Amino acid sequence: MSEKFEPNVVAFLCNWCSYAGADLAGTSRIEYPPNLHVIRVMCSGRVNPLFIVNALQQGADGVLVSGCHPGDCHYMEGNFLARRRFALMRELLNFVGVDESRFNMSWVSASEGAKWKDVVTGVVNNLREAGAFTEFPRKKIDW
Amino acid sequence: MPDLEKLRALAKETISRDDIKCLIGWRPGTYGYRTSPHFVRSPEDADQLIFSPLCSSNLATYLTLAEKRPVPRGAQPDTRKVAILVKGCDSRAVVQQVAEQGIKREAVYVIGCPCEGIIDLRKLEDKYPHTLERVEARWENGKISLDLPGGRAVFPREEIVAGKCLTCRYPNPVIADVTVGEDVEVRGSAGFEDINWLEVKNAQERWAFWRDKVNSCLRCYSCRNVCPMCYCEECILEKQNPAWIQRSVNISENTAFQLARAFHLAGRCIECGECERVCPVEIPLTHLNRKLVKEVSEQFAFTPGVDPEAKPLLVGYRPNDKEDFIL
Repeated sequence: MSEKFEPNVVAFLCNWCSYAGADLAGTSRIEYPPNLHVIRVMCSGRVNPLFIVNALQQGADGVLVSGCHPGDCHYMEGNFLARRRFALMRELLNFVGVDESRFNMSWVSASEGAKWKDVVTGVVNNLREAGAFTEFPRKKIDW
Repeated sequence: MPDLEKLRALAKETISRDDIKCLIGWRPGTYGYRTSPHFVRSPEDADQLIFSPLCSSNLATYLTLAEKRPVPRGAQPDTRKVAILVKGCDSRAVVQQVAEQGIKREAVYVIGCPCEGIIDLRKLEDKYPHTLERVEARWENGKISLDLPGGRAVFPREEIVAGKCLTCRYPNPVIADVTVGEDVEVRGSAGFEDINWLEVKNAQERWAFWRDKVNSCLRCYSCRNVCPMCYCEECILEKQNPAWIQRSVNISENTAFQLARAFHLAGRCIECGECERVCPVEIPLTHLNRKLVKEVSEQFAFTPGVDPEAKPLLVGYRPNDKEDFIL
């Protein structure tokens, strides 16, 4: 185990913006860290805050939720609802002592392949510094 | 301090009405400092009612716990109201349940009891442990007096009331169809001194604090059962598919449970402190709730349980909500 620590990041991407943005980054041959495990959801408003807790339990070192910019939601208000929810969830996680870098949220539109690269690079670099998530993962982890 | 004779007379009058099926109040418990919920169904039952600094339980829980039996064919559904005695914090629970449409406003008859603070039994038992004779307590000019077996004892309010009462901003019922006793002075501050000491620590120290607390959790779910806002008919804690939280008792599942419980009360917790009171292993659950109360009031300027017409916090949004945490 002498290699550098590589974090596992679970990313919940909204189907209409961020997933397409990540796809654009791929088709444009933009290079970004391969630590993401992408889960496509129909809207960032679909992401239950318990998904985050569950991802951390199941061995993720960090979580990224990404959706459309405010006002661009395919379902009109899904990302507004998500924003409120995660603002509170983030504070709660922080309050019990989970490092701030483990939960991230971003707005990435379908045309922002370059921004997607910046977001992922930033998240992964922060997590490399923060190290593995040891607070409350399950004992048996199956990746 | 409400006059007990007046309270009982009012209860008798209320339960005699045709449109009231039951009145929920408190009566002395079987021993010591205990009190228990009392379901008054006839005027004679009302003689046992009390209201004192020992009446800690939040009766609003029972409004949503009532069994909803199917109406037999040809019969009319029972539309009579339930009357309930509420302290300030309990009344907020009723308001929040109405706001969430958990109950209908016209299905409850609220009898407000302004409250100067409820005794924390843990603090009392530290001073006078193992008391078996029934004890009576009353508020007296900002102090609390107790008739203990060894004689009368008077405590300053701050020394003996529960933590939630020290920060209480709603000692007088927010809604009431009728009020017993005089309104009392609001003494709680709007600050969050009770959690600030924990917030200023760093992440490792905070986790060390919570790890020790959460490690002792037995997963008895008392905190959920007693909570007036936890009234979903289906609860994620009992769902097996998907099993959000596994049944095993370990630090991972316990933390997930506590986070889920706290988060499900985000923007809904009315700070009655029942979860902490019933916790058998004394986890400071109100700290988690208070943190969310703080964020909800600072970020969204929202106070749950004061306006029955208000839209619940997390089903709405404002376009200019704070988003400085978003990349």
